[in-house]
Amino acid sequence: MVVITTQKPEEEIFEALKNYHANKIAIVSCGSCAALCQTGGTEGLAKWQEKLKEKDFEITAGIVSEDVCDNRVMKKDLRKIDDEIKESDAILTLSCGLGAQSIIKTLEKNYPNKPVIVANDTQFMGMTERIGRFYMRCQGCGDCLLNETGGICPITTCAKALMNGPCGGMVRGKCEVGNYEKDCGWVLIFNRLKEINRLDLFSKLREPRDWSESGHQREVVFR
Amino acid sequence: MVEKKVYSKLGAALAKGEFILTGELEPEKTCDLSHTIQEAKEMAPFVVAANMTDSPLGIVTINSLAASAIVQRETGLEIIWQQTVRDVNKLGLAGMIMGAHALGIRNILSLTGDHTNLGDVKEAKPVFDLDSATLVKLVREMVDKKSINGHEIECPPTLHVGAAANPNSDPIEAEVLKIGRKAEAGAEFIQTQVVYDLEKTIEFLRAIKKYNVPVLLGLFPMKSYAIAKGFDMFVPGVDVPKDILAKWKRIKTEITDKKAQNEAYDQANYEFFKPFVTELKSKRLLEGVHCMAVHYPRIFPKLIEVIKG
Repeated sequence: MVVITTQKPEEEIFEALKNYHANKIAIVSCGSCAALCQTGGTEGLAKWQEKLKEKDFEITAGIVSEDVCDNRVMKKDLRKIDDEIKESDAILTLSCGLGAQSIIKTLEKNYPNKPVIVANDTQFMGMTERIGRFYMRCQGCGDCLLNETGGICPITTCAKALMNGPCGGMVRGKCEVGNYEKDCGWVLIFNRLKEINRLDLFSKLREPRDWSESGHQREVVFR
Repeated sequence: MVEKKVYSKLGAALAKGEFILTGELEPEKTCDLSHTIQEAKEMAPFVVAANMTDSPLGIVTINSLAASAIVQRETGLEIIWQQTVRDVNKLGLAGMIMGAHALGIRNILSLTGDHTNLGDVKEAKPVFDLDSATLVKLVREMVDKKSINGHEIECPPTLHVGAAANPNSDPIEAEVLKIGRKAEAGAEFIQTQVVYDLEKTIEFLRAIKKYNVPVLLGLFPMKSYAIAKGFDMFVPGVDVPKDILAKWKRIKTEITDKKAQNEAYDQANYEFFKPFVTELKSKRLLEGVHCMAVHYPRIFPKLIEVIKG
């Protein structure tokens, strides 16, 4: 699994730096997911060092960290550049939103006012076909339906996340959203369940999703 | 046999097994309902009830429930309030169902609704908390069990609830099974998408017969060649037969007098739909017809002829 990121428009990133009056910048680049997405890693770091220099920013530090989203890794890696962080106006993070918030959390005690600027938009948890081809197939809804739907997720593949599809917006197996170019998730489910001789599951009237437990600051704590 | 409860003219007609004609009203992006009221008045002598659409294609119009209540009050024409699950969550819908009853509305058609992405407020958050089947179930819980999630409603609503079906759907087997879910949820009637293909329609209606839900078949008499062509081009999944389009084109080009042209269109609609409906009626596959031709109330006397016999 990869947390898929895409780079924000450059002007938006420079605008954010400007709004924080940041001139001295430390860059933290993610060496795992963002590296795969070409929005981080060593290449991303080199690119942003170059770009910032071109615009007369001062780069105080630049590191590639293996798991920016892991608080323990961040604690260790940021300690190594503590002096540079101290003198920086802001940190630019080439990671996903988890990475950015992991940095903020790591710095909250010693540098509670240090701005962390995100260079990327976090898109989704991605299934990798090959590098450069990532697909959203699961939204981490917290209540997996795959055993009921032939292994195809309606929450993700149905544009309306319906529990009892397909809807009237399906035409010849395609979805009304996106000009009938994408497959209707519920037709995929129907075809799959038919193939495995489980149309009994398709016929089932499903209850609406229970939102009472989902959505708000979910956490898994078992130790 | 448990006697069916009757809350409306539509409910009474369904219970008696009368052949039903319903119409459709499509209010627009305006606070002034005078056009819709006028159309409702013209339609009223011919239909049992008329649907009030809920921002079709995701293009925002005046609220469907408000329009339903006002038009019903102003004209006496019974309304089938169309409500989608696109814009309101379960909590909101439950409140609206009670509100609908308080406003005198006694029929609801449960729909999924076209995605916000298709319309003119694309940035809006699509809700889809329920779906068209679970909205039916919610209505039935509120009406029959007089409760929401087991919590008692002091003065419960009384509404008949219907659902939609699409005989043009492909794969049709998925649509048939979906109707099974809607029947299980408690749908009391079905109104279908517009049909033009007799064989496909027969096949579909035969397949859903086992669910024992009365079917009002969606027909779309075409007021003009432009409308027929537009419908063929812009309504996905519904094809207007080529010979129909050719006939309508001939009427447009060969008859210049407006009145004569209108009469020719009306007659052509009659000639196409009469054998279509007669065939389905003879096979006992439908309980009525739902005319979806909005802004064409002139056609209703002809439609009465279509469904007669």
